Amino acid sequence: MNGRIGLLSNNWKISLYLLPAFAITLLLVGYGTWSAVAQSFQTIDGEWTIATYAELFSSDAFFHSLKLTFRVAILSTLLSLVIGLVMTRMLYELFKVSTWKLLVWIPMLIPHFVAGYLVFLFLSQSGLLSSLLYQIGALENRANFPVLVQEEFGIGIILTYVWKEVPFVILMLLPVYYEIDHRYSEVVRTLGGSNWDAFKTVELPWLLPVLIETSVILVAFVASAFEIPYLLGVTRPEMLPVRAYEWFYNGDWSKRPLAFSAMILPGVIALLLATLSIGAVQKHRLRMIKGRSR
Amino acid sequence: MRLFLKGLGKRELATSFMLILFIILFILPFVTIGLKSVSVGWRWPALLPSGLSLDAWRSIMKDPKLIESLVTTFKVAFLVVLLNLLLAIPAARALSHYMFKGKSIIEGLLLSPILIPGILLAMGLQFTMIQFGIADKVIGVVFVHLIPTLPYAIRVMRAGYERMGSSLYEQASVLGAGLFTRFFTIALPLLLPSIRSLMLLTFVISLGQYALTAIIGGGTVITLPMLYYPYFSSSNDAVIAGFSILFALLPLLFIGFVEVMMRLVIRAVNRV
Repeated sequence: MNGRIGLLSNNWKISLYLLPAFAITLLLVGYGTWSAVAQSFQTIDGEWTIATYAELFSSDAFFHSLKLTFRVAILSTLLSLVIGLVMTRMLYELFKVSTWKLLVWIPMLIPHFVAGYLVFLFLSQSGLLSSLLYQIGALENRANFPVLVQEEFGIGIILTYVWKEVPFVILMLLPVYYEIDHRYSEVVRTLGGSNWDAFKTVELPWLLPVLIETSVILVAFVASAFEIPYLLGVTRPEMLPVRAYEWFYNGDWSKRPLAFSAMILPGVIALLLATLSIGAVQKHRLRMIKGRSR
Repeated sequence: MRLFLKGLGKRELATSFMLILFIILFILPFVTIGLKSVSVGWRWPALLPSGLSLDAWRSIMKDPKLIESLVTTFKVAFLVVLLNLLLAIPAARALSHYMFKGKSIIEGLLLSPILIPGILLAMGLQFTMIQFGIADKVIGVVFVHLIPTLPYAIRVMRAGYERMGSSLYEQASVLGAGLFTRFFTIALPLLLPSIRSLMLLTFVISLGQYALTAIIGGGTVITLPMLYYPYFSSSNDAVIAGFSILFALLPLLFIGFVEVMMRLVIRAVNRV
């Protein structure tokens, strides 16, 4: 498509196609970020100060929240990736049939907080799993059932995210699995390699870019999402998005700069993570194009 | 049964085990809340409800706030989906079929809302949106809902365009088809699966927003999630279950509506 087709030259056409999405994103992200950063460095009267950050970094509660946030984000991402990968590997032949593929879409169809409710319904102390265990005689009292939701470690939150993100991981991985030439796996097995060897040498190089991309998306999402921890978390320590939201909505306007600065740190961490991993993926891609393994 | 199991290889056995696990994990919960929403007195440690009744649904439907928020939710989600289509389709076309200077920077910017916390952006935008008078209004909420939806919409459409390739398009333009003919007779039918995924995905994401809606909507734009949280802390289990079912039904309703509309559009185009 080098020549001119239609009335506009290619350059004009490209600009016209991209401009609306570009302008809106620039406004939302560019202006939003700038405004948030600016407000985190200002007092409520508009004076510039770093006092907010000083207050934040000297507070133990903030670091507890930060730790909880990234623990939940990283654990739920890793679990979703591993489970999603295993399920995709075993079921991708099956998912070629579109009826089965619809099954994967079902959990994607409901909002996160409904998934949170499901976890609450099944896994709380008076939930259905606890009832089941009582009925089969494995549990004497509901108080003996472990506290899985609304506790400090965030187990309920992690489980909700895993439940919700495993289908997402499967949908990200499926196209790659259809692209892989599985005859290579047969070669590995014929040459005496194990299943693991086949996975490592044939599938993993193909999967790696998508796996990294998916994990960056998931970590960034979980670290900044508010809906689930608000429903299934405890007050102390709270996950950062909940903390920030409460500072923002607290009647006390002097807390607002804290809300901004508390969310900037996870944002920066997610961006760093993304830049690093995209760099790594680029290197990996180059290696694949050149056709050398090391 | 034993013969049946013997007939299966180890691999098939593992696959069917996986499938059963999948169904238990992802389908059973919906059946359970469906049952829960029409149950009475289903308390610990009962495994099944002691009776059935439509009371919960009645009290949901009687809530006047609910009908109003249902309308608001649809209004917001519909506009979000429409804007996403209008913004993502041309952008995806440019990104998939052309090489140009600064492409990677533009790509990076278009995907950046995935990485930067949406709640931070919404808090940052709030003051300015108040000044411009679009906070506390549906249009403002629609605008911030673009943050979590647009990057995915562009991604989905771009994959669709890349699968489509450009040969058919070129053929059509060689034969003298104009921009609109090309789009409606070639791109639209071939991109239909992607458009469907885009609409469903953006609708569901918009439906699931609480924090963004609350920050920009400021308590005047009441979408369904705004009501869900207070319901959750109330203690009527059947009502929460019914409400949850409602959330699962809305995307299906929407996609059914979209399907009908798309069939009509395509039929109309084919006739012309």
